[in-house]
Amino acid sequence: MSPQAPLLGEFGAPPPGHRLGSNQQLDMPMRRYRDSECVDYCIVGVGSAGGVLLQRLARGGFQVVGLEAGPFWDTERDWVSDEAGSHQLYWNELRITGGENPLALGANNSGRGVGGGSVHWAAFVPRFHPSDFRVHTLDGVGVDWPIAYADLKPYYELIEREMPASGPPHFPWGDPHGYPYGPHPLGGNGNILVTGCTRLGIPVCIGGPVAILAGSRGDRPHCIYRGFCIQGCKVGAKQSTLISHVPDALAHGAEVRDHCMAARIELGDDGRVTGVIFFDREGRERRQLAKAVIVCGYAIETPRLLLNSACPGFEHGLANSSGTLGRYLMAQAGNVVLGRFDELVRQYKAPPAHALTEEFYETDPARGFARGFAVQTVGPLPIAMARQFAVAKGAWGWGLRQVMMDSNHWGAIALLGEILPWEDNRVEIAEEKDRHGLPVAKVTFNLHENDKKLIEFGKRKVMEIMRAAGATEVVQEDRYAHLVGAARMGSDPRASVVDAFGRTHDIPNLFICDGSILPTQGSANPGLTIQALAARTADYLIREGAAVFSGGKHSMEAPPLRRDLSPPDTWGHGVPTMS
Amino acid sequence: MRPGGQPGYYPGFHTLEQAEFWDEATRKVVLERVRRHEGIRFFAPEEAVLMRAVCDRILPQDDRDQEHKIPVLEAIDARLFAGRIEGYRFADMPADGDAHRLGLIAITEIADFLFGKRFESATGLEQDRVLLTLHDARPPAGEAIWRQMPVDRYWLLLVNDVIGAYYAHPYAWDEIGFGGPAYPRGYMRLNDGDPEPWEVQERRYEFAAPSDSLSGIFTPIGRGNRGGER
Repeated sequence: MSPQAPLLGEFGAPPPGHRLGSNQQLDMPMRRYRDSECVDYCIVGVGSAGGVLLQRLARGGFQVVGLEAGPFWDTERDWVSDEAGSHQLYWNELRITGGENPLALGANNSGRGVGGGSVHWAAFVPRFHPSDFRVHTLDGVGVDWPIAYADLKPYYELIEREMPASGPPHFPWGDPHGYPYGPHPLGGNGNILVTGCTRLGIPVCIGGPVAILAGSRGDRPHCIYRGFCIQGCKVGAKQSTLISHVPDALAHGAEVRDHCMAARIELGDDGRVTGVIFFDREGRERRQLAKAVIVCGYAIETPRLLLNSACPGFEHGLANSSGTLGRYLMAQAGNVVLGRFDELVRQYKAPPAHALTEEFYETDPARGFARGFAVQTVGPLPIAMARQFAVAKGAWGWGLRQVMMDSNHWGAIALLGEILPWEDNRVEIAEEKDRHGLPVAKVTFNLHENDKKLIEFGKRKVMEIMRAAGATEVVQEDRYAHLVGAARMGSDPRASVVDAFGRTHDIPNLFICDGSILPTQGSANPGLTIQALAARTADYLIREGAAVFSGGKHSMEAPPLRRDLSPPDTWGHGVPTMS
Repeated sequence: MRPGGQPGYYPGFHTLEQAEFWDEATRKVVLERVRRHEGIRFFAPEEAVLMRAVCDRILPQDDRDQEHKIPVLEAIDARLFAGRIEGYRFADMPADGDAHRLGLIAITEIADFLFGKRFESATGLEQDRVLLTLHDARPPAGEAIWRQMPVDRYWLLLVNDVIGAYYAHPYAWDEIGFGGPAYPRGYMRLNDGDPEPWEVQERRYEFAAPSDSLSGIFTPIGRGNRGGER
C-alpha cells in the first residue's frame, strides 16, 4: 500500500459503454449502411473537417458514411495519461520525408482515428487575420484566397461556440473579437511568456484562445490542468470532433466506419465519381457507393489518395488537371526556445497552449521579409523535452541526465511562423508500399529565402522574450508545426485543385475539405480555420441539395448560415453569447 | 553525482506511489512498462551486448542500483521487433532497424580504428570518445556505412531511441521531479513551481559528471559534410 491512497480504494474500471471524456457516454445504436447502398456522401477521414461535415450533413438529412483509417476511440479505455503510451494517436504508418529541410511527421502533425488531428492538437484556436486571405495583393507573395475573411467570419463565430473556445474577452489582433468562455489560469510557460513580453512592451494575451473548456458545459467537464493535451484529453475538456460533433452525427443517422483505409476513388464513365474502394478492419477490399465523395484526409493523405486514384483521363492523379495536386504544401516554423530560470517552473502542468502574442503577425517592411509570426506557449513532456535538449544543447550522456534533472527549472515557448506556399514543397507517391499494397507518400520540403529570414528574425525575438522573462540560459531547436496545402483552393482551375467551396474543378461530385485546401496559412494554428471551412462547405452542400448529385449547373453564391445545425446547446443558449 | 540512493533532486519522490490515483488504462500501461520485460528479439545476441554498452553511455545509469536500472535496450528492441516507427523515414535513411544494425557495425569499426578494441571492452572514456565522433558528425571510420546513412541522422535516431525508453519510465520521472500521470486528479498548483501536496520540494546538490566521461560538457551536434543550418 502506498502512504497515500484514494479514500475509496484505487480508481477502478470505467463504467460500461462507449465513453467520450469522463462524463459523456455514446449510448445510441449506430446506423449501418450496406456497401451496395448508394449513400449520398462518403467522407474519407473523420477528423477535424470530416467530423464537422459528417455532423452537418447528417443533420441536413443526408445519408452519410465516414470512413476512418484509425479506431473509433473510447477515451476511457483507449487513451492514457502517459507520453509514450499515446503513440497510437498519431499517423505512424510509413511516409518518406526529404528535401533540404525534411519535416518530421507522425506525432508532430498527423492524427489517426476518429477526431483525427483534433485528438492530439494543443487546441490553440486563433482566427486567421483578414490580411491572410489576400497576401498576394498586399505583399506580392503567395496567393490570394478565393474567399475573404468576411466570408469565413460567421463560421469562426459559430465554431468558436460549438467547441466552445476559452480566451480573453478582447482579443486585439486581426479582426478584434472576444471568446465565450473565460481565459484559463497561467501555468509556468504562460507566466514566462507574459512576463517576458510585458517587460519588452509587447502586448500579450493570456488563457487562450484555446478549444479547452474553462467551465463545464453539459456532459463535458472543465480542464483539470494535467498538461497531457497532446496525448488526447481523457477529461473531455479539450475539443475534438470525436466528442463535440461525432456523437450528434450518429444521433442523426450518420455511420462512422472505423479501421477502414481508403485505397482509391472510382471514376465513372460520365466523369463523376461513383464511390470509394477501401480496406476494412479485416483487410478485405470493399467498395462504398456514393453520390458524392468528400476527401478529408489532411495535407498528406488527401493528395496521396487522389494520386493513387489515377485513372484513364486522370493519369497524374484524380482531379489533377492543373498539376497542382500535392504542391504548395506548407508547415509553419515552430522553433522551440528553452530557457533556464533560477526559480522552479514545473512547466509540465497546465495545457501546453494557453498564452500567445500576435504582435508580429503582419508584414513589417522594416524587417526585410514578408508576413510574420506568433509567439506561443508549448509544454513538452519529459521525452519531448529531452529530445529538444539533445538538439538545442547537443546534450547526451551525463550532460543529458544532468540537464533533465534540472528540467523543472526550464520553461519553453515557441515560434509559430508563416512559411509561404512554394511549388516545390510537395507530396508525391513513393515506390514503397504500405501493408495494403498502396504506395506511400513522399514529402519534400525546402525553406526559401523569405522563410529563412522570417525564422531567423522570429527565433531571435522569441529568445529575447525568454531572456526578458529572466532566463539565464536560452537555447533553441529548429522545428516545424502543422501541415496545410497540397490541394489548394482557388478561382483559377489551372492553378488550383478545388473551388471556394471545396469542389474539385475537374469532377463535380468530388470535394476536398481539410487543411490541404488552404492556399496560405498565416501564423495562426490551422485547426479552427479547418473546422470553420468544413461548416461553410456543409452549408453550401445543404443549400445545393440534390443538384450536387445530378450534375446540373452549380451555384457559387454563398449559402445562408445554418446556425440551427449546431450540436445541441452550442449556439444561442447553453453557452454565453457575445455579439 | 549523488552517492547512492535515488538520483535527482527529489529524494523520496516516487510517482508509482500515486498509481492508485491514476485511471485504470494508464495504470496498466505504466505498470506493465515497469514489470514486464520481454527477452531481446530484434538484436542478435552479440549485437545486443554492443547495443547495451552503447545505451549505457548515451544515458548512463551507473548511479542507479540494480533494482532501479531502466530497461533501455529492452524497450528499443521491443520497438524494432514490433516494427513500430514514428510515422516517417528520412529519404536518405534506411529503415530504423537496418540503421541501428549499420550503426553498430560503424561503432565497432570506429572503436577498432581509435583503440584497436571492441567497443564493449573499451573503457568508459574510450567509449565516449567513439560516441563523441558520432555526435560531432566526424567519424574516423565506417565510410561504407556513412555512404548508406548520414551520421547526424543516425546519431539522433540513436539518442532519440534511448531517450524514448529512459524518460518513459517512472524511475526517470522520479529523478527529474515530473509529476507523472494526472488523470482523473489533475494539478492544482500551477504557479511559482509549487509542488502538489503529493510532490516533493527540490533538494539540490552539486552534480558533476564522472571523470571517466566526455558527455558532461555541452557542444553543438555536428552536421557532418551536409552543412546547412542547425
